[in-house]
Amino acid sequence: MAELWAALPNAAQDLLLALALVAPGLLAGALVLHGLRPLPLVGAMLRRFAFVNALFVALIAVSVGLGVGLLAQERGLRQGSARAAEKFDLIVAAPGSEVTVMLAAVYLQPSDMALVTGPQYAEIAGAEGVAFAAPIAFGDSFQGAPVVGTTADFVTHLAGPLAEGRVFATSEEAVAGAFAPVAVGGSFTPAHGHGPMAEGDAHEGYAYTVSGRMAPTGSPWDRALLVPVEGVWEVHGLANGHAPDDLRIGPPFVPDLMPGTPAVLVHAAELWGNYALKSRFTRGDLMAFFPGTVLSQLHGLMRDVRSAMSLMAVLTQVLVTLSVLIGLMILVRLIARSLALLRAIGAPLRFVFAVVWAYSAALILSGAGLGLALGWGAARAISAAVTARTDVLVTANLGWPEAHLVAGFISLTLFMALLPAWLAVRRPLLTDLRT
Amino acid sequence: MRACLLSLLLIVAAPAFAETHDDHVAEAEGLRVVHVWTTATGKGSDALFYMEIENSSAAEAMLTGGEAGGQELELVGFSYGAAGEAWTVLPGLPVPAGAELDLEPKVLALRWSSVPMDLVPGAELEIEVEVGGQHLHAHVEIGEAGATGHSHAGHNH
Repeated sequence: MAELWAALPNAAQDLLLALALVAPGLLAGALVLHGLRPLPLVGAMLRRFAFVNALFVALIAVSVGLGVGLLAQERGLRQGSARAAEKFDLIVAAPGSEVTVMLAAVYLQPSDMALVTGPQYAEIAGAEGVAFAAPIAFGDSFQGAPVVGTTADFVTHLAGPLAEGRVFATSEEAVAGAFAPVAVGGSFTPAHGHGPMAEGDAHEGYAYTVSGRMAPTGSPWDRALLVPVEGVWEVHGLANGHAPDDLRIGPPFVPDLMPGTPAVLVHAAELWGNYALKSRFTRGDLMAFFPGTVLSQLHGLMRDVRSAMSLMAVLTQVLVTLSVLIGLMILVRLIARSLALLRAIGAPLRFVFAVVWAYSAALILSGAGLGLALGWGAARAISAAVTARTDVLVTANLGWPEAHLVAGFISLTLFMALLPAWLAVRRPLLTDLRT
Repeated sequence: MRACLLSLLLIVAAPAFAETHDDHVAEAEGLRVVHVWTTATGKGSDALFYMEIENSSAAEAMLTGGEAGGQELELVGFSYGAAGEAWTVLPGLPVPAGAELDLEPKVLALRWSSVPMDLVPGAELEIEVEVGGQHLHAHVEIGEAGATGHSHAGHNH
């Protein structure tokens, strides 16, 4: 049985799980309503207590929406951050914290880091199986956008063909990220450092001209300004990696004339090469790691938080539904006379039971449906805010986990709705008629 | 009486201790496979084996895979993206002369697809690692489901 389950495609497993979750509630409903037509009466009850019903539906919708929104948002954030790191095959840096280097090189959150030296870079770039090794040199900014020194190979690797213009050809040209604050043809002078403390006039007299613009990548690099790494070195008064009479840009660099770089992106010619290169450059004086591995480990830690969030979401929904059902029980007391009259004119107990259950079910199903829509809307709104703040493209859509959450919720609460129905038919007929 | 019991306990425990320690290493022709481990795995699921491979020979050795229970072990590499985690089959990986290759979680592993029985912590398991043309028989330590390393990781052998 386990093997048969494992052999099913993921979508089939998800669909079957959703059906299994919702089935008990639907089965209970089918048994309760079998052979009866309580819906016209339920419709009348819904109209009669429209305001209270709307309040109950809104309560359920908000609790379902919170759960759905949280789950969808968490997944969107995870997928967005993973997508942003997909192009960063292997990073080589000086020994230190992998997380710090990943945040700096992939998500452009710069930190003080030791440098990979010129001879080390030459060894990495010249290693067997390396298609290209791109320096990633950060530290400057312009109007809050990071200015990053690198090579033309990296620009093409990161974003594919440019959306506009061409790749830099001299150390005084730049390529703008899709949403960077400088247009093609525009110029800028980088500030030394980042944030409010950046020294705006430190590199006065030096300017880059934007020669091209990248297509969107969904990563913080969309706001960055990419310049030849030689430009970064020259701006800081350092050697530019080439002999004085050599005016070209890009590798190979003269090891002794290369000032160093905080990180190197290594792209292997073959997939297996990345693993061999990681093994080769994991040593005392260098650190090689896959950002995907670090990110997966971080997301693994978040999995526990996600489980707790899911549990809290379900508990919140159940508590809200419980309070709604208690409200319904009070409402049943208010309509006790009407129900007693129904029984007095010959309606079987089962019919009265079905009316009360169907009434509760209508509120639960409406609330769950509205909650799904509310959760989707909330997730989209939060995604937009997170994207604006982090520059990581976060897209939160509803998926199977949300469907499972709502299916489980509906099933459980439809069962819980049997309680007010049972209490309604247990009421003393004569007392209710006299009330 | 207490001394006698202690002596008896040591005599009984000593061979077991020696066997456990030796089991951490498999070697031939300058190639060593050390600290092979996996996590508890249910029948029908895929098991991933991690280990350290040392090549002290003068020639590069190619790690190509292995064998367990008569089934092939594939060399797989980890990747992570928007679609989630994935393990991709690799044709082989060179272990340079004098170098070491670590097969570690979320990086590299030997994969035993659809294991025919439950791998439970503490159970005995032998696998064959194919490296440099050698077939090294290695003892596998089966850890808990959430284990992140071999119980003797970092020990020199």
